[in-house]
Amino acid sequence: MSATAPADESVPATPKRSFLEPIWIGRAIALAAGVLLLLYPLLSDDIYYQNMVILSLIFAVGASGLNIISGFAGYISLGQGAFLGLGGYTVGVLAARNETVSPWWWIPAAGVVAGLVALVLGFVSLRSRGPAFVIITVAFLFLVQVIAVNWVSVTNGTAGLTLPLPTWDRDIMNWPFYYVLVAILGAQLLMTWWIRRTKLGMGLIAIREDETKAATIGINLPVQKITAFMMSTFFVGMAGGVYGYYLTFIDPRGMFSILISVQLVLSLLIGGKATLWGPVIGAFLIEYLNEYANNDLGGGNIRLFLFGGLLVVVVIFLPKGILPAIESLLNRRRTAGKAGLVGARIGSGGSLASITDRVQVVDRTQIPDRPLLEVKDLRRAFGGVRAVDGASFTVPEGSITGLIGPNGSGKTTIFNLIDNTIAADSGEIWLAGERIDKLPSWSRAHCGLGRTFQLTRLFGEMTVLENVVAAQRSFSVRGLGKVAVSGAEARAAEELLEYVGMRAFRDQKAHALSYGQQKLVELAQILMLDPKLILLDEPAGGINPVLIDRMSEMIRELNSYGKTFLIVEHNMPFVLGLCDPIHVLARGKTMASGTAQEIQSDPAVIDAYLGDDFQLEEKKAVNP
Amino acid sequence: MSEFLQNLLLGILLGGVYALAAGGLTLIFGVMRVINIAHGAFLILAAFITYSLWDVLGIDPLLAIVITTPIVFALGWLTYKVLVAPIRTAPMASTVLLTFGLALVVEGAMGEIWGNNSTAIRPSYGDESFTIFGLFLPKAQLYGGLVAVLVLAVLWVILTKTWLGRAIRAAAINPSSAELVGIKVTSVAALVFALGIAAAGAGGAITGILYPFVPGSHYQWIARLLAIVVLGGMGSLNGAVLGALLFGIAETMTSAYVSPSWATAVPYAIVFAVLLIRPQGLLGTRMREDTVMA
Repeated sequence: MSATAPADESVPATPKRSFLEPIWIGRAIALAAGVLLLLYPLLSDDIYYQNMVILSLIFAVGASGLNIISGFAGYISLGQGAFLGLGGYTVGVLAARNETVSPWWWIPAAGVVAGLVALVLGFVSLRSRGPAFVIITVAFLFLVQVIAVNWVSVTNGTAGLTLPLPTWDRDIMNWPFYYVLVAILGAQLLMTWWIRRTKLGMGLIAIREDETKAATIGINLPVQKITAFMMSTFFVGMAGGVYGYYLTFIDPRGMFSILISVQLVLSLLIGGKATLWGPVIGAFLIEYLNEYANNDLGGGNIRLFLFGGLLVVVVIFLPKGILPAIESLLNRRRTAGKAGLVGARIGSGGSLASITDRVQVVDRTQIPDRPLLEVKDLRRAFGGVRAVDGASFTVPEGSITGLIGPNGSGKTTIFNLIDNTIAADSGEIWLAGERIDKLPSWSRAHCGLGRTFQLTRLFGEMTVLENVVAAQRSFSVRGLGKVAVSGAEARAAEELLEYVGMRAFRDQKAHALSYGQQKLVELAQILMLDPKLILLDEPAGGINPVLIDRMSEMIRELNSYGKTFLIVEHNMPFVLGLCDPIHVLARGKTMASGTAQEIQSDPAVIDAYLGDDFQLEEKKAVNP
Repeated sequence: MSEFLQNLLLGILLGGVYALAAGGLTLIFGVMRVINIAHGAFLILAAFITYSLWDVLGIDPLLAIVITTPIVFALGWLTYKVLVAPIRTAPMASTVLLTFGLALVVEGAMGEIWGNNSTAIRPSYGDESFTIFGLFLPKAQLYGGLVAVLVLAVLWVILTKTWLGRAIRAAAINPSSAELVGIKVTSVAALVFALGIAAAGAGGAITGILYPFVPGSHYQWIARLLAIVVLGGMGSLNGAVLGALLFGIAETMTSAYVSPSWATAVPYAIVFAVLLIRPQGLLGTRMREDTVMA
């Protein structure tokens, strides 16, 4: 149920669960609620409550759809209500033009229209994030409303559209609406569940946690996001179609009211983002309050107080929602009194031999003498500051190449340009004979580029194992539907974690780890990409001397298995002992290149970076 | 041609009022990274307070700004202390939802107090106008525009010429460093929030004379103000002024030459287009995301 729990069956060695565990109690409650929902119209003919349940079902579909983009992918939308309205209008307009055809036939069309319009919003999400996106969704909703008002020939403007009355027997009244909606909600929940346990869902959560980083480990952002947007609205459009038919009258003010969107967001927030059942629970709760405010408290302004006040209260006091709050409460009870794992000793590391199906020792003489990475005349300016100003260098295949230079000389910016975290203004980047400077980050990752960040960027809410498995070595649309963490992937990830010494932390949330531990996990994560070239940004920065030694040992070992490295680092003994060749960067250009000896004795380098008093041997003598 | 000039003039006068209200919004965003969706609601609230001062006590609506603005300033300060301060570190989308909720509550409160009927402030000079070179200059518009420019000028002087202004800008650029050199960032933030909302209040008092309003008008207003701020570049005061003038003209022109009902679509279309084509707006600069992320 949690956003970050891996799919149960795919992770080995989960402890056996008793039927009294909260998860089973939760499942029993869900089952009982489902049965009650199915039987309800047969048991009671109270129209007031039947109406309330029907509206709750509609909003549950809306909130559950919203969950896919807001809960999983982290794009909060205040325009979700527009898709209910679009669905309603699709059915309304089509039914008005085809009076002989039952409106039921248009319900799927409502889903398709909603999905197509969501495509537009999906494209928008490629260009704007966070609050800008929230604003855009509000603008989108109002724009759709203005169009519905002004496009009189189709929508009949503010006068609204009247739909045909239901033709069936009055005895069964609302049953068709009721059961169709139950079926749509069932389909919506099934889809949410499916998304959560596939690569698609995992990619969306990675996007929520850190979009730029997600791109660098091979996650195809546009395809993931646009797919998610379309999926988040298809069933919502259908529910909107049923909504319009049920109301029998639709007008722009009612169908595109911002309050409907607010109600959907509230349902999601109160129930719990990124949970399966949270939005459903939230929708029933909010709709009950809504009806109560309308019928018993006078509606109108009271409804505004209720929704507005609830939104404020939820954001301040219950930011996670009901279900996650219960979950963390249970979690605290379960782990009470136990020592945390995050302080455990970092493992001494396994040997790479255990992953021989993935890596093999290469014969040094077999490595062709050619550049694996070639950077030509790379440029990037920030306003007037030319951070990278015509840098050119090569990384020979099979080498451990160093990139050093004073602070602000453009080292990290070059890394950002190489993996497209920032777009270059001009210049060429070649990887293994292929020009990659026009490719997006994820394609560069698929070409064999892996990169760690100076300040580690892991997906904080994911576990260590999930972080490693989140890396996607290749992309295919079909691949999105594969199970998020397959057994083979989990095994490979565990081996890599074993190798970097972090296996004991497998099930910890990444944000609970220390900086040094995060560095190791990030290394395992990019190894999962099986990259040809590994860019390490200050691998020895901020970690203890033992770990520094272990780091250089691992780099050497990985290098012997054919991995090429490009390393940015200020720790000179580390760089000079490990790297050959070394490029020196100053003012955004390469000013010198050569072996460690040549660099140390180059007067220009000493002047610009190392300083007159730099003596590697003496330093080593001081630190035994 | 003279009709065009007439519309241009009205657009510019309207732009002055927009600039004032949007200046407050952009100031709050620039310093606190909070998008205050309740800005429009406070603007309409100020219009209602001005209405009561004029209707009950007979105070001239433009003079009433002296009373209205401090009231709204106090409300803004209270809002910050009670609602915004507790979630300062939350993601920006949370504050958007929070202030949206606040906007709904204020809308409901206005509906309870003043009712949901269309309200208008009509001072004695409401229908009079000057005529210069054959162009009509409605007095209400002219006085309103002048007062708006005056208040905006005061705001600009505070921001650029005083210690407080420097503290505000320091807090905007780097809150933790500002704290280190002795600026109490939370107090500055509360002040800025109150100041920003007071600017909306002053704008609301003026627009109450220009347009009739209902509690629900705040949606239209926040859409306008966001469009202006987004157009000019979020956080840039100069950008807000430029955006407001362009927007005032665009809205007047659409209303005159296309149709008033499509004029309501202008802000939404602008927001959409700008955020897609040039997300940093006209005068905004793009930050280096790689260093800011830390």
